[in-house]
Amino acid sequence: MMFLLFNAVTALAQQRQITGVVADQQGITLPGVTVKLNGTAVNTVTNVKGEFKLDLTAGNNTLVFSFIGMQTLEIAAGPNQTKLQVTMQNASRDLNEVVVVGYGTTKKSDVTGSVGSIKGSDLNRTPSGSVDQLLQGKIPGVQVIAPSGQPGAGATIRVRGLGSRSGANALVVVDGIPLGDAGNIKQVNPDDIESIEVLKDASSASIYGSRGANGVILITTRRGKTGQARITLNALTTVSTLGNKLDVFHDPVDVATLNNESRQNGGEAAQYVGQNIGGTYYPSIAELRGIDPSKKPWPYNTNWADLVYRNPVSQSYTLSADGGTETTKYSVSGNYYNEQGLAIKNGYEKYVGRVNLEQKLKRNVTLGVNIISTWAKNYGQGLSVDRNIIFPALNPDGTYFHIGSNDYGNPLQIANEVLNKSKTIDILSSAFISWDIIKGLNLRSRISNTYGNSIGDNYQPRDATGTGYQFQGFGVVDNYSANHMIVENFLTYDRDLGTKHHVNFVAGTSYENTTVRTSNIQGQGFVNDILKNENIAGATTYMVNNNATRTVLESYYGRFNYTFLNRYLFTFTGRTDGSSKFGANNKYAFFPSGAVAWKVNEEAFMKAIPQVSELKLRGSYGIVGNQGISPYQSLSLLGSYKYFTDGGFQTGYGPPFFNDGSNVNGKVFNGLGNNSLKWETTRQMDLGIDLGLFDQRFTITADYYYKHTTDLLRLNQIALSSGYSVIQINDGVIDNKGFELGANAQILTGKLQWSLGGIFSLNRNKVLQIGGGNSVEAAGGDIEAIRAPLNYYINGQPALVFAGYHYGGIIQQTGGVSPVDGTVQRAGDIRYIAGGPLPVGQNGKYIIGNPNPDFTYSFNTSLKYVGFDLSAQVYGVKGNDVFNFSKFTPSAQLQRWTPDNPSTTYPSVNSTRVNYASDWYVEDGSFLRIQNVNLGYTFKPNTIKGISNLRIYFSGNNLYTFTKFNPSFDPEVQENGQFDGNYRKPRAFSLGLNVSF
Amino acid sequence: MRSNMKNLKYIALIVAATSFTACKKQLEEKPYGFLSTANFYKTEADANSALIYAYSILPDLDYYARNFITLTEAPTEDIEIAAGKSADNVLLDKLSVSPVNASLRPGFQLPYVGINRANLVITYVPAIATMSETSRNEVVGEAYALRALHYFNLVRLFGAVPMHLEPVDDPSKTNLPKSSMKVIYDQIIDDLTKATAKTDQVRRLGRVNQVGAWGLLSKVYLTLASGKSSNAPGYDFVTNADEMYVKAKEYSSMVINKQSAYGLDPDLVSIYDVNKKAGPEHLWDASTDRTGTNEGLYSKLPKMFMPNINFRLPNNVFVPGGFNEFLTEAALYNSFDANDNRKNLLIISTIKDVNGGNSGTGPTQNLSITDAYTRPFSNKFNDSGWQAGDQTSCNTPILRYSDVLLVYAEASGPTAEGYAAVKAIRTRAGLGDLPPGLSVQQFRDAVLQERSWELCFEGQRLFDLRRTNNMEKILVQKYGKTITGDGYFFPIPQSEVDRNPNLNN
Repeated sequence: MMFLLFNAVTALAQQRQITGVVADQQGITLPGVTVKLNGTAVNTVTNVKGEFKLDLTAGNNTLVFSFIGMQTLEIAAGPNQTKLQVTMQNASRDLNEVVVVGYGTTKKSDVTGSVGSIKGSDLNRTPSGSVDQLLQGKIPGVQVIAPSGQPGAGATIRVRGLGSRSGANALVVVDGIPLGDAGNIKQVNPDDIESIEVLKDASSASIYGSRGANGVILITTRRGKTGQARITLNALTTVSTLGNKLDVFHDPVDVATLNNESRQNGGEAAQYVGQNIGGTYYPSIAELRGIDPSKKPWPYNTNWADLVYRNPVSQSYTLSADGGTETTKYSVSGNYYNEQGLAIKNGYEKYVGRVNLEQKLKRNVTLGVNIISTWAKNYGQGLSVDRNIIFPALNPDGTYFHIGSNDYGNPLQIANEVLNKSKTIDILSSAFISWDIIKGLNLRSRISNTYGNSIGDNYQPRDATGTGYQFQGFGVVDNYSANHMIVENFLTYDRDLGTKHHVNFVAGTSYENTTVRTSNIQGQGFVNDILKNENIAGATTYMVNNNATRTVLESYYGRFNYTFLNRYLFTFTGRTDGSSKFGANNKYAFFPSGAVAWKVNEEAFMKAIPQVSELKLRGSYGIVGNQGISPYQSLSLLGSYKYFTDGGFQTGYGPPFFNDGSNVNGKVFNGLGNNSLKWETTRQMDLGIDLGLFDQRFTITADYYYKHTTDLLRLNQIALSSGYSVIQINDGVIDNKGFELGANAQILTGKLQWSLGGIFSLNRNKVLQIGGGNSVEAAGGDIEAIRAPLNYYINGQPALVFAGYHYGGIIQQTGGVSPVDGTVQRAGDIRYIAGGPLPVGQNGKYIIGNPNPDFTYSFNTSLKYVGFDLSAQVYGVKGNDVFNFSKFTPSAQLQRWTPDNPSTTYPSVNSTRVNYASDWYVEDGSFLRIQNVNLGYTFKPNTIKGISNLRIYFSGNNLYTFTKFNPSFDPEVQENGQFDGNYRKPRAFSLGLNVSF
Repeated sequence: MRSNMKNLKYIALIVAATSFTACKKQLEEKPYGFLSTANFYKTEADANSALIYAYSILPDLDYYARNFITLTEAPTEDIEIAAGKSADNVLLDKLSVSPVNASLRPGFQLPYVGINRANLVITYVPAIATMSETSRNEVVGEAYALRALHYFNLVRLFGAVPMHLEPVDDPSKTNLPKSSMKVIYDQIIDDLTKATAKTDQVRRLGRVNQVGAWGLLSKVYLTLASGKSSNAPGYDFVTNADEMYVKAKEYSSMVINKQSAYGLDPDLVSIYDVNKKAGPEHLWDASTDRTGTNEGLYSKLPKMFMPNINFRLPNNVFVPGGFNEFLTEAALYNSFDANDNRKNLLIISTIKDVNGGNSGTGPTQNLSITDAYTRPFSNKFNDSGWQAGDQTSCNTPILRYSDVLLVYAEASGPTAEGYAAVKAIRTRAGLGDLPPGLSVQQFRDAVLQERSWELCFEGQRLFDLRRTNNMEKILVQKYGKTITGDGYFFPIPQSEVDRNPNLNN
């Protein structure tokens, strides 16, 4: 008793003050953080600089820091402590956190559908010209396929599997503006991103109706906040290196030996016998070995990788200012981005400027503008390092060396002389007015416009490329401009009705109008190469194409949320889309959905289990669509072509055709209209659970989904005797079923903080019906290397499986005929086993591979101690097959079949052999990659006068990949599983700096 | 309360002002840069352009500029597909053709594309009132000849096939059943008869006129006549072979006697000179020019025959390397008389500046017919103005005067006219006359042989062997080939079988 009293007395006597600064993980100070003395009513809020002052009682005190979107933090202050430096962590699962959904926001705890979310600050710090790649391994159910390491390259994004044959791309929406297909979101600077949400199930995506079937990615950029005025600089400097060891020839003798052997096996004369061919001297093998006494040792062994690759330095700088008062909020930023490719003279440069401004005009009226403008330049190209090492890169006079008279593959010449450049300008702008009409009721009117313009320049000199030689100079100017205007009006009503009921509804209309104009000018045959493509009128032959399309989308949408007792949640969403792309009989489509959720933890009986901070069961079902077709596909149109007759080429008009890109039978005759053309319909069911324990220290979100897509938009192959190849129709059924899991744990929360997270996505794709009564249909045209298509849609199989023959080993004795082409099988050839069940190719093919992974997964962890933080992410793909066209690498060729080396793994080399698809090429594409490791140090706020925050960090990207795939290549390949040597992915080491003033 | 009412009024106003009435018109598409059948076929220029479009399918790489030659030459003793080239072409060469053979598909499809285009002309142009009757007749007449040519090709390649006589403008019209060979031949004769009645004799590059239509009609009758008289499979429906011979002679004699623009070119090599496309032999060519922007506007056909090395032709034209896909077969090469200029001038056995890269420093090389890879090759397809790359101005002949002259000879039999026609051909080739006193059969066999020498590589041999019931006699018994399956008609491609459910109805 005395003791207590004594304490109380000293407390009164020794009242004191503590001051401190609160910052986030990046060291950015946080204004507006509530600081509370635990167990009392004493509290304050941090100021613009993140500073606070609080009166304490004597002895030990515990301070509680809370801020929306951050984990609530308790810090003990010792009896003599007067200063505190506080770092708050992003709350991955704060229940009060706000998530963006279409046409509105909602509390995370009130979400009824399946919405994945990531904060901008949780994106990996690595150079990336497009946002897409940064989403890899971040959100369950979102697969990001990024096979190319070229600067500015995009990625393929699949939300819950491949549910379409005509572009299963998610819709990207930036600050409420529907931008278009995911794949290359280059318009947004990753430093500007506040959060990214992915709407995955039908309930959340159906507010986007005919564009929601493949998921919706909502990107929200930073806004100004009341009470802060801050200038921040983010700088990132990156050095890249080759991520894989190259498999190339090192000894000229090997090259010549293999070449001679290959030609002799193919019935051609050996070249490396010491002779002139096409003006080039081909040394004999003895001469290359240096054992020909009459010849000097061969002087060349060109290391092409040294000439073509480099360790480039890339940079990114973002300078931003944001802040606000009660009436005005602003956030402005500028970014300069310069990414250099591994290949010489290849790079990507970008400037992004952004303004978000909000002004309160009256108590209940706010207006605002958002503008993002992007200028980007892409130049150069990927270069091959597989060139013959026997010959030099340059002639003694400094000109480029050509092997013989028909050689146009000198990578140095291509890098230096081929013009390949594109410049794009994108402007996203929107202006809105928001009016709180009566309590709870808001009207928002918004006019948005996205403008995109690009100009592509290409010139191939006569001496540098095959095309350039063929046409004696070949130049192209490509123009593209697109304008997309969106007018939207929507009402939001949000109110508690009594104490038990809460309603929230959104109802609105939108009108979108998209105009795309393109022109392409191509010239063939120039007097010389000096002007490149600058004067195409000077070409002997020129070709002009111009085109324009206009599409209109007219929509009505609404969402009704009803919550009873804060436990039972119901959502009904619907959208009606009228699209000009659809056929005359099907202009309008309606997409309804519904969801229910039960917050079990709010029930009285759960109060007995306080460890469970969240337990929510969710279920949704609905219909969403995909209108992924080009305009005018429902109409009968005429195209033009020429015929050489009296007076030269004359132009004719008739039903059109296009070339599908394959070089064999590549013409596709189209133009037969279809008045019934419509959207693809996806019915999706989703069952989910959100579980949080110990005040959300451990959280799990798990979802099961079933997507059933019908009326697939596809080019139906029709009877050849109709005079047409294809007609665009709706039929066919694809299913995607899957399971996704996201888990997070804050294992340690004290001075040493440690968190661990994991993501697991499993999807099973199955083509139920191709449509048209077919059971097998090729996806894509013939591939020259195998003289047939590779990927197929087959009823009952996953999409894009490989069709081919079985590999029956290497033939050891000449004899018998190939079941594929009837030729005599020679020793050293691949033995093909035909007779498979698929009625394609000669004598029946088999399914020899499936490019769809069994599952993808990622783990991330972060450690923090005082100012230091360390985080890491690994990403893995399991169980996908890769068709490796590049399997017969130089090192493999050295192990080829020969009479002396009767290999059972590799065939002989043969210059005239035709290869067919077989499982010899098929390899396991599974991999696990150390995607990112980030080590940072945050200085104490205001360590340096005038600098409120300072953080430096080191970030390593693509550090190591565990895989059974050929170690000389990166195993991440395109969605169809075909690998033929991508632009190599760099391993990147970055040094970053964040400074705030 | 009052203020609430006011607010509600505002709301009503705003909702009314900002929403819009559903208006289907907004969603109607007005395509930019595309014509549709609704706004086309209105003027004479439209009519000509529709006809030009119909012609433009002929030199496609999947038709006369490549695939048609592959289909009709590879199975015969003219050419062999080089090892390592397309498996489907190798199987074609081996006369083992299954419905999935990818080379069949364009051979079947492209004629139908041409037919649909011709049908559009035949359907829409007669209604264009603003044209003179003469020009309307010319356009429609040529379209009839085009349609007949396509069906003649189809029926000789595949036998009974679907027959479209109207444009396909709705998905419901795409699947027709097969028509019998009789029905198709009746239609071909009808179309060509109309064509001969409507067209004039003006020469237009790459286009057919009355003379060409007569010539084609004579070939159609000769096919029926010889098919029937030799009991070749498929020609049972022909009632009287002799009547058909008479018709074949009648129309071929019109080509010989009822015009003044065409005749035999005295110089064999200049027939194939791209600078002499208006030469007297060219009744109808699939026309190309090297200034075209795509294959099909220019031709790559010469490269199919040429060795895969760079060299110069005897006329000094530099060839930057061929594809070496079509190898001359010894069977044909050795069948020529040693003095036959069609071998000595039209098959190249010596090339210059080999691998010299156009430097003039490479050696001269003699090509051997027994070589596995580089053999003497046809000189019928080249371009004396070849500049660089793949583009040539090489036309593919559809109908030549000497072809019609031999039709006339075959139809006439061992008569004086028959002997005279063959003599004209042989004299030009540097050979003597046929032995006198041949029987009808012997004479027609001799003409068939003459056609082989005269028209080799030009897409005639397969049809000649088929219509004379000689596939086994010549290819198997004489040259030791093997035929797997039907030698007389290719199977209808699987892609048609799969997609046309009415095919066999």
